[in-house]
Parts: sequence; C-alpha cells; structure tokens
Amino acid sequence: MADPQPPEQRDPSGASAEAWFFCLRLLGGRYAFEAPLVTEVVRVGPLTRLPAAPSFLPGVFTHRGEVLPVLDIGQLVGQGPVPIRPSTRAALVHCGPWKVAVVSESVEGLVSIPRRQLEPPPAESSGVAEFLSAVGRDRSGPIAVLDLPRLVESARARAVPAGGGAA
Amino acid sequence: MTATSELLLFQVGARVFGAAVRGAVRIGNVRDVPAEELVVMTTLGPPFERERGIVVVPTGGGERTLVVDRVLGFRTVEEEELRPLPAFAQACLSSSAVTGFVLMDDAPLLLVDLPTLVSERQ
Repeated sequence: MADPQPPEQRDPSGASAEAWFFCLRLLGGRYAFEAPLVTEVVRVGPLTRLPAAPSFLPGVFTHRGEVLPVLDIGQLVGQGPVPIRPSTRAALVHCGPWKVAVVSESVEGLVSIPRRQLEPPPAESSGVAEFLSAVGRDRSGPIAVLDLPRLVESARARAVPAGGGAA
Repeated sequence: MTATSELLLFQVGARVFGAAVRGAVRIGNVRDVPAEELVVMTTLGPPFERERGIVVVPTGGGERTLVVDRVLGFRTVEEEELRPLPAFAQACLSSSAVTGFVLMDDAPLLLVDLPTLVSERQ
C-alpha cells in the first residue's frame, strides 16, 4: 500500500492533491481503477466453466459460499487470457448491479497518484485504450487508469444475451 | 418442514450437470430412437458416447431425447440450496438453459432446464 499522504502534499484549498486507485498488473502493465469499487482481494479457486459463456467470462468460483463470476480483461480487449493458476488473485469489484472478480497477473493494491500528474488517455479507440480514463505515474512508474464501470457494462453489452440473437 | 427438490444428475462430455427431475419424462437407451428425435449437440457440448438419453418435452410440445454420456442418478437437495447464477454471468450467457447451481462438496454443480435446453437446439 502507498504511504499515507503527507500534509505538505495537500493543496491550500484543502482538497487532496492525491488520487487513490487500486492497482493490478495485467497485460504486462500496471492498470488501476477507482479504489472504492474494490471490496476485497481473493485467491481464485478452481473455476467452473459456464456453457455458452463469452471468452471474457472464463468461469465462476466459490468464495466463502458465494459463487463469483470471473472477468478476464485480457480476453475482453483481445489480448489473450490472463493465466489462472492456484496463486492467481482477483479483485472483487462492485460496478452498479454487477459484482465480478477481476483476475490479474498480480495485485499491487492501493496507490496514490498526484492529481497534477493525471493526464487524458491516448486518443485510441481499440483494445484496452478504449476503456482508459486517464494515465498517470507514481514512484513505481506509469499507470493506466481504467474506467471500470464502463468496461464491465461494455462486456455485458458485447455478450450475446439469451434470446437476444443467439442462433 | 423444509421444501426439497429432486435433481437428476447426468454427464455430458467430461462435465456433470443437474436438472429438475420434473423436466425429464423418462431415461433410456438411444439406439432405438429415430435420429430426428435425438438432440446431440447442445450448449452443454457434445457427448463422448451416444448411448443414454433423457426424454424431454420441449417448450413447443412433442418429445425429444437429449443424448448424454451417463445418467448418474438422483439427488434430493433443499430448495434453499438452489441458487441463481451470479447476475453478471446470467447477463452474459447466450443460453437460457443454464439456470443456476447447487453447491456440492463446495463446488458449483450447474443446473440446466431440460425443456429449454432441447428447445434451443430445435
């Protein structure tokens, strides 16, 4: 977890000079999203694959008696699956009505980025760039900030719903 | 008294599924069933062997025989153990036949609606 915010980094207006995100490593890089979306980090148990599921939904697993769907962002953006091993961890996130486990190569945890260092994302509209809301940098290097609610909603919309066009 | 539900357990390919017994008319051999009444390819994937069949009445009526690898038996579970799929999973599946799951030995056993399953393939 990042160091607590030192008082000298507050701006004179009283607003925080730092933005807090939850950071994962996936697709060979550091990706973050709004920290309040994350409720827990869990180890991904044995997956039960679902028939008729899109590739970005590799299955479900049980965690303390609750069955959780796994979201693979790599598959969603067409960059290959995130490997799921016994050591794989996922961030449980709430995005509107959806609760999903976002799998990652590793979990970094909370990071803070000075707001002045957040910049608009590159003007690309393909792959993961489509879902970026900002890019920034902290002491460990560059971070791409995902608009996770938009990404999750886009995943749901891309799936062919039952009775909604399936052959 | 706790309400219970009777499940029929069967295997298609390498996987085991459960279905409400009330969705099945009878279980039998598929060798004497006319080919046009067989449902081999479904959302659940192809069976390895084509010997056992579960006779089902599709939503449109008539009878169809779902070809499975093995019928494993019956299991009584309390209805409160039957759970729907997680909302996100339900919203993403391209089939309505997968309705939920029941935890068996801490692993989710997928539940399918047999009439919907065979109807989707007609």
